[in-house]
Formats: sequence, C-alpha cells, structure tokens
Amino acid sequence: MNVTTVHVSLVITVAERPEPLVEFIAEYAAAIQQAGYVAEFVVVADPGYRNLLGVLDGFAESAYSVRVFEAAQTIGETGLLRAALPFCHGDIIVILPGYRRVMASGIAPLIDRVRDGAAMATARRVSPSESWQNRLRRGAFNLLGRQLIGGAFFDLSSGVRAVRLDALRELPVYGDFLRFLPAFARRDGFRVEEVTVPQHPDDLRPRTYSPGIYVRRLIDLLAVFFLVRFREKPLRFFGLIGASLSGVGLLILASLLVSRLGGQPIGDRPLLVLGVLLLVLGVQGVALGLVGEIIVFAGSRQRKPYRLTSMALAPAASVVPVTPLPEPASLAVQ
Amino acid sequence: MLSIVVPMYNEEASVGPLLAAVREALADITEPWELLLVDDGSQDGTVAAVVAHALNDDRVRLVRLARNFGQSAAMQAGFDHVRGDVIITMDGDLQNDPRDIPLLTARLREGWDIVAGYRARRQDFLVSRRLPSQIANALLRRATGVNIRDTGCSLKAYRRDIIDRLQLYSDFHRFIPALAVAVAGARITEIPVRHHARRFGQSKYGISRVFKVMADLITLIMLRRFRERPLQLFGFAGLGALLAGGLAAAVAVFLEVESKGAVSGITMTAVATCLVVLSGFLFLAGFAAEAMLHTMHENEQMAGSLLTEVPV
Repeated sequence: MNVTTVHVSLVITVAERPEPLVEFIAEYAAAIQQAGYVAEFVVVADPGYRNLLGVLDGFAESAYSVRVFEAAQTIGETGLLRAALPFCHGDIIVILPGYRRVMASGIAPLIDRVRDGAAMATARRVSPSESWQNRLRRGAFNLLGRQLIGGAFFDLSSGVRAVRLDALRELPVYGDFLRFLPAFARRDGFRVEEVTVPQHPDDLRPRTYSPGIYVRRLIDLLAVFFLVRFREKPLRFFGLIGASLSGVGLLILASLLVSRLGGQPIGDRPLLVLGVLLLVLGVQGVALGLVGEIIVFAGSRQRKPYRLTSMALAPAASVVPVTPLPEPASLAVQ
Repeated sequence: MLSIVVPMYNEEASVGPLLAAVREALADITEPWELLLVDDGSQDGTVAAVVAHALNDDRVRLVRLARNFGQSAAMQAGFDHVRGDVIITMDGDLQNDPRDIPLLTARLREGWDIVAGYRARRQDFLVSRRLPSQIANALLRRATGVNIRDTGCSLKAYRRDIIDRLQLYSDFHRFIPALAVAVAGARITEIPVRHHARRFGQSKYGISRVFKVMADLITLIMLRRFRERPLQLFGFAGLGALLAGGLAAAVAVFLEVESKGAVSGITMTAVATCLVVLSGFLFLAGFAAEAMLHTMHENEQMAGSLLTEVPV
C-alpha cells in the first residue's frame, strides 16, 4: 500500500483482555472500507501476546496494511499508543483497545466528526441491554470525572477515539492518561465531541475489578483534576490547602496562648502538638506550591498559554474584511 | 506603529461603541495604528459584532482563542500578534477612554518603558470596588516596590521590546508592570486617565478574586526575589524552623530537669520533632527548586534578556 494514500491509522493497543485479532481487524477493516476510507492497522502489544500476533501474518496480502509491534517490556495502553505513533501514516488516528468495545460500524462516524472539524471524537457507548453493574460503575466514574475535571463527558472509559494526529502529538500521552485524553484536549482548547455509538455485545457482560483498580482510577482522576485546573497556578491549589491547615493550627495555638496567659501550663497539652503539626503541614503545602510556581515559571517560555481557533490577519497595505478564517485543516483526506 | 490590544469576553454590545470611540480618538494622529481584538472564547455574538463593525477596515484585526483561557492568555495572544513598536492595552467594556491613548503614547515617547494610566475619578462603588482595589494596590506597591497607584486600570502603554521579554500565564496580566521591572528593569511612569462606569454586561470578577490575587501576589514576590536563588528562600525558612525546633527541644529538656521528671517534656519534644522535620522538608524543597532552575539554565540562556542596549 502506498502510505501517501492512507487516510486513517487504527492503533490497536493489546494490553489486557486479548481477543482473536484476525476477526477483530477484518471486522473493523470492512466497516472502514465501506465508509470509503483507506486505513492501515498498527497493532502494538505488551509482551506475552505473541500467540495472538503471529496469526496476523495472513494480512500481508490484504488490501489494507497491518503492522504488528511487540513492546520489549510491559508499558500499558498509553505507552503502547505513544510507541505506535511514529509508525502511523494517517492524518487521523483511531485508538482502539485490543478487544471489542463498540460495533465496527461506530468507527466511521467518529472519523467523520474529525473530518468535519473536531480535533477529537470520542465514543460514548450505548446499549439498552448492558448489565446494571457496568452502567452503575461507568456512571459513577464519569459523574465524578465531570465534577472534578469539567466537560460534558459521559464515557471517558470507552477508550475508543478518533483524533487528529497533530492534536494528539500535543497531548500528554504518558502514564495512565489514555482514557483522559479528551479532558486534556478540552483543556488545551481543542474541539472535542462525544459521539454516541453502538456498544459491542462482547462489552455488555458484567465485569469485576479488584479494589486496587478502583483506587488507581480515583488517583488518576485526582491527577487529571490537578493538571487540568491548576497546571499554571499550583500555589492556588497547595496554598489553599496549606493556608487552611495553618489557619486551624494557628487558631489552636492562639487558644493555647490565651490559656497560658490565664496562668494555665500548656507545656504538656497534646493540643500543642496538634496545633504545631497543622501549622507545619500548612507551611509544607505552601512551600510545595512555591516550588510548583518556579517549575511553571521555568517552563512558561516553552509553552503558549492559549490556542487560537482562527485568525483574520489583514495585511497592512490592503483592505481585507475582518472575517475569521476557517479552522486549520491539515487533513489530507480526499 | 501603534498596536492597541483589547481582550474581549462576551462584550457583544460593547464592540460597536468601542470601535467608534477608538476611530474617533485616533482620527488625528499621524502614526499608523492597528486595533487587535482578542476574543477570549466568547459565547455571545462578540465575533459577529466585530465582523459587522470592522468590515473592510484593515486596521482592525481579530484573534480568536479556541476557548475561554482567561485575560492573561488573551493578552499574551494579542502581544504575540501585534505589529507595532508601541503597545496599548485596554479593556473591552468601555470603562477606559480611547481619547487617553495619544496622551499615553506621547509620554512613552519621552523615554519611558511603560506608562500606566490611573483612574483619576473612578466611577465605581466605594465599598465593593474602590476600597478593595485601594487595599490591593497598597499591598502590591509594598510587596513589589513598584509604585503604581492603580494596578487594576488596564489602560497602559508599553514599549514592544519590554513586552517581548515577558510571558504571561495564570492571572499575571494584573502584574505586568511589576513583572517588567523584575524581568526587564523597565522604567515606569503614570498619568491620570478617564474612567467610565460599565455600560454593558456584567463584571467578570467575583469575591473569589481576593484569594487568587493574594496567591498570585505571593508568587510574584517569590519570583521577583528568589527565582534565581530559591534555596535562599527555603533555606532561611528551614533555618528558622530548625531554630524553633531547637528552642522547643531546649524547653523540653528544661521542663524535665527543672521538675526532676515530675513534668513530662514529651509534648515539647513532639513539637520540636515537627519543627525539625519541617526544616528538613524546606531544605529539600529548596534543593529541588535549585535543580529545576539549573536544568532550565542549561536549556536557555536568560541573562541576555535582562540587557537593554544603550545608544552611544
């Protein structure tokens, strides 16, 4: 296949719940081709899935390109996506987990939405027959996500997205942030749309996760909350916490001082330890905020604090109406 | 060339009168000028109003941000796209009067780097707006050493080469003069300017601004004094905590010895421990900040930006 004709690169990250990839790819490839797109598949897997990857040799003669990569060590879905990007030739990247979450027919609408101007289109799974456990879990996660990080996202965990390659390159593709890419994209001023797509029957089964997974997701949410809301102003976050703790500590110490002035000994009052401890914690919070501000200041020259959507630049010597230019369109899709 | 930068957020009703006022105020100046309107993600018809009122006027340009990034980011976007060597900033809500622009630029041409306007007869409520503003300005003057009586007045004139050395983020648009002094050694003067009551829309600020401004002020002071030597800040604070911890430990020993064991010094010992731990933490924070700065200086040579060539 001539790489210059590739419209869409589908990156399949195989890190958990492995499925037979031959049927998976064939199913999605047929749907993409039917929608008129020229697609390539980039399959990236953590170690341990060699048995799944080997059978993909059969795609060598197919109408679409399938390239398969195995990571040298376990790097997770986000790391796999990052590692795959240099091998993608499409202007639009479709991110898929290594198992069916949505029906193949749901991919083309995502791509369409990106071609229509969105920087990212993210799948929102819908199915009337999904188990109540799954729905409850997903609803609670996304409700918490909306409260903490803003945005109208109802299915951050779908993991199925279409995104412009140039936008993806500007997003933080590291850690466990794959599922939060829409939140970061929205923070950075990219247009993000959630598109309703039919859920795959394989995804409907009730699943159970260990308590550790829930804790990890909660910590991820807190990390995203901090990065989305306080990246440029860490002292406001740490300072609020620090000032609150110090304030309570100072109140306790002030009350002890009043007692002392009233003639009562305070040298052996446990409250004294609590007051000092809270004061110390508060000072530590503020100090961390100041270190954060130095880090932000140091990096401020490398980053613009805004993103333009369009701009009318009138040459000084000519008369040009102030008309916003269209969205920058770098897509080479014909 | 004169570049006027006006951030706008939901100022649909103000656009027409603003453009008319600017055109009228600058009708008699010989210098070429441009008006750079920065739409900060407005959700009303601000952009449409600009297009309608500035059609075929090549002196008016529009920069549109992808979402509401805040006034600092909007101002920085304007600064990044100006073409003039003199930059004027003003609000888009018609509280500033463009007729003051020639006065500002004339003063700037006398050799100043920044000319800050101050609202001589401010048309705001005393308790809710003017009094908090006066307190904040007094605090800012004391904290930064930059004697500007009205930081909140957006109508200011800047030399382009001063602005090029700054990078605004967070809510630092309030502190541009103080930043310019700290980073570029700018020379600043003030002149009185007119002020009008807001005619359209609502103020974008609430009471939460107090905490935000205080946090930004602390940041500014820290950056101004210690951005090149953070360990001095954290080191002094750490030494203070260590001394306090030592004092608490001495009191604990004194209590034990003086009472011959009748009074336990365990509480004061715990207090001393807390303070010594704090001291250690502060030193570590200082070292971390120094490492950060060291890495930054390896990547970027900043010293040159502090120099201004003097004509000889």
